[in-house]
Amino acid sequence: MALDGWQPTKLIDADAEAGSFRVHRDAYRSDEVFEREKALIFNKCWLYLGHQTELKKKGDFFARRVGGRDIIFNLDKNGKVGAHYNTCTHRASKICREHSGNARTFTCPYHGWVFNSEGQLSSQNAKTGYKEGINDDGHLNLKAVERLEEYRGFWFVNFNPKAISLYDYLDDGRDAIDALMDQTEAQQVILSGEHTYSINANYKLLCENSYDGYHLFPVHASYFDYLRDQMAGTPAADLIDATIADYSSNGAVRGLGNGHAILDSYVPTGRPVAQWLPSMGASVKPEIEAKYARLVERFGEERANYIATTQKNLVIFPNLVINDILSVTVRVIEPEAKDRIRVTAWAMGPTDESEELRAMRLDNFVSFLGPAGFGSPDDIEMLEICQTAAAHTPVEWSEISKGFGPAEDHCKVTGAPDDEVQMQAYWTMWDRVMSGEVTLEVE
Amino acid sequence: MTLTRSEVEDVLFQEAEFLDSWQLMEWAEMYTEDSFYEVTSPACSDPYTADARNTLFLISDRIDRIRGRAKRLLKKTAHAEYPHSKTRHMVSNVRVVEADGDTTKVRANFAVFRTKEDNSTIYMGEAFITLLETPDGVKIQHKRCVLDINSLYNQGRLTIIL
Repeated sequence: MALDGWQPTKLIDADAEAGSFRVHRDAYRSDEVFEREKALIFNKCWLYLGHQTELKKKGDFFARRVGGRDIIFNLDKNGKVGAHYNTCTHRASKICREHSGNARTFTCPYHGWVFNSEGQLSSQNAKTGYKEGINDDGHLNLKAVERLEEYRGFWFVNFNPKAISLYDYLDDGRDAIDALMDQTEAQQVILSGEHTYSINANYKLLCENSYDGYHLFPVHASYFDYLRDQMAGTPAADLIDATIADYSSNGAVRGLGNGHAILDSYVPTGRPVAQWLPSMGASVKPEIEAKYARLVERFGEERANYIATTQKNLVIFPNLVINDILSVTVRVIEPEAKDRIRVTAWAMGPTDESEELRAMRLDNFVSFLGPAGFGSPDDIEMLEICQTAAAHTPVEWSEISKGFGPAEDHCKVTGAPDDEVQMQAYWTMWDRVMSGEVTLEVE
Repeated sequence: MTLTRSEVEDVLFQEAEFLDSWQLMEWAEMYTEDSFYEVTSPACSDPYTADARNTLFLISDRIDRIRGRAKRLLKKTAHAEYPHSKTRHMVSNVRVVEADGDTTKVRANFAVFRTKEDNSTIYMGEAFITLLETPDGVKIQHKRCVLDINSLYNQGRLTIIL
């Protein structure tokens, strides 16, 4: 359903005075829009590659696809993090065919070219035929990704050499990442195991869903039924209904600049760092309360309370989700087509928690999150029925108006937890990048 | 007393039948009070010995969540399985590997076909099962499914019970 004479700015229709914010459904269903997004969004924004703590020892590597590009993410023999395109500079063959591992060198299976862990060509596997010094300028080394930067261990790539720094790009999103990483004085690490799955829906539908407070009770009714059953007969039994009653007046959604936004809310699941609930059992109470007390010592009551008790759903524009809720998940969305995404999700936790609390963290994770949990699959179903209905009906607009009104900058607006201002922030940024109003480049 | 392969197959085939006919509460009844139902994640480096207490699994249910899973899936609000998908559980290559008193350890290959709307996918792998002989008949004490896949890229999600 591509539009003739399509204009990028025509896909967002915002009238602040009228409280109306609409997104044209071609933004989800058009091949042409998707092609432009690849060029304008995914080639200009910082994209998540992986976490420092996944690279445990020198030589560790992961082969990942990011923004449609195959990249080797590794720790070289000098302990430096690298990101190189996974293609032999000779005749294109993929040089790393494993998902992950440890390697001192990468040998191309086609003609035997060998590259060291820093990406330098060390052998062409040929006695004759090449002039000496053919690689003196390094053009036959593995091609490094244009930009590679990290913030608190989260490594991102950018395919635009002129891009602004990751630090500037993250804007107030840095504070949200700080709130997660400051949970411990030890280290937050990616835990072993990962969830990799697919969804037949546009990538932006999953971003919208990931911090959508409005959908929580309708979509996840069966999860809350389950929680009620679990809490039945305990002092926490009334918590679910009390939470539903207060949900929209407790917490906020906040635009963090550059399209990033966060949902801060209160849902009584308990949090390993650091909110104890009776449903977690008495044995972990002292540990969780000690974690809370230490946060107060380090950051004061207000910040400690924010770090410990708020359920935080963060979306870093355009495709990274970090949910610090009943468990912590880092979830990256890799778009493959307008209506198809590949999702990879990891669990994160601090190195200084007890075995029991670690077990509870992972148990919380699989109870709700992931492709077999009691929550995420119902979200996935919603995204797929949105996608298919958008594709097979002529209705043009989706309504994302809840909480919309006049503001100085719609990328930094605050609203109630079940408002849609975080999505308005996302789409405002999307529109700015797609229209060229924002280049995300250094002047 | 050691169960014979044929007796083990009766239990596994009964489980398959309950699942394929969406008699999920009856399925949950087959599990003991101290049971586990687990599916490791495809990224798990050693899925046979991995421990859900320190490694992210796809599914790690004790009896309360086994029952909760069955109960939830029967609701219309379990959107991911509404309308219910059609499934067919194939259980084969059943081997009794160890027996000790009332406990029998079993390995079996499985292929589960799922059709949701017009899409059919397969979940294939090996199940490691511990059966317990009780006064109420043979029950499942532990079932760990290890999938022969590298991701759920083709299947999308895992909302049925394997």
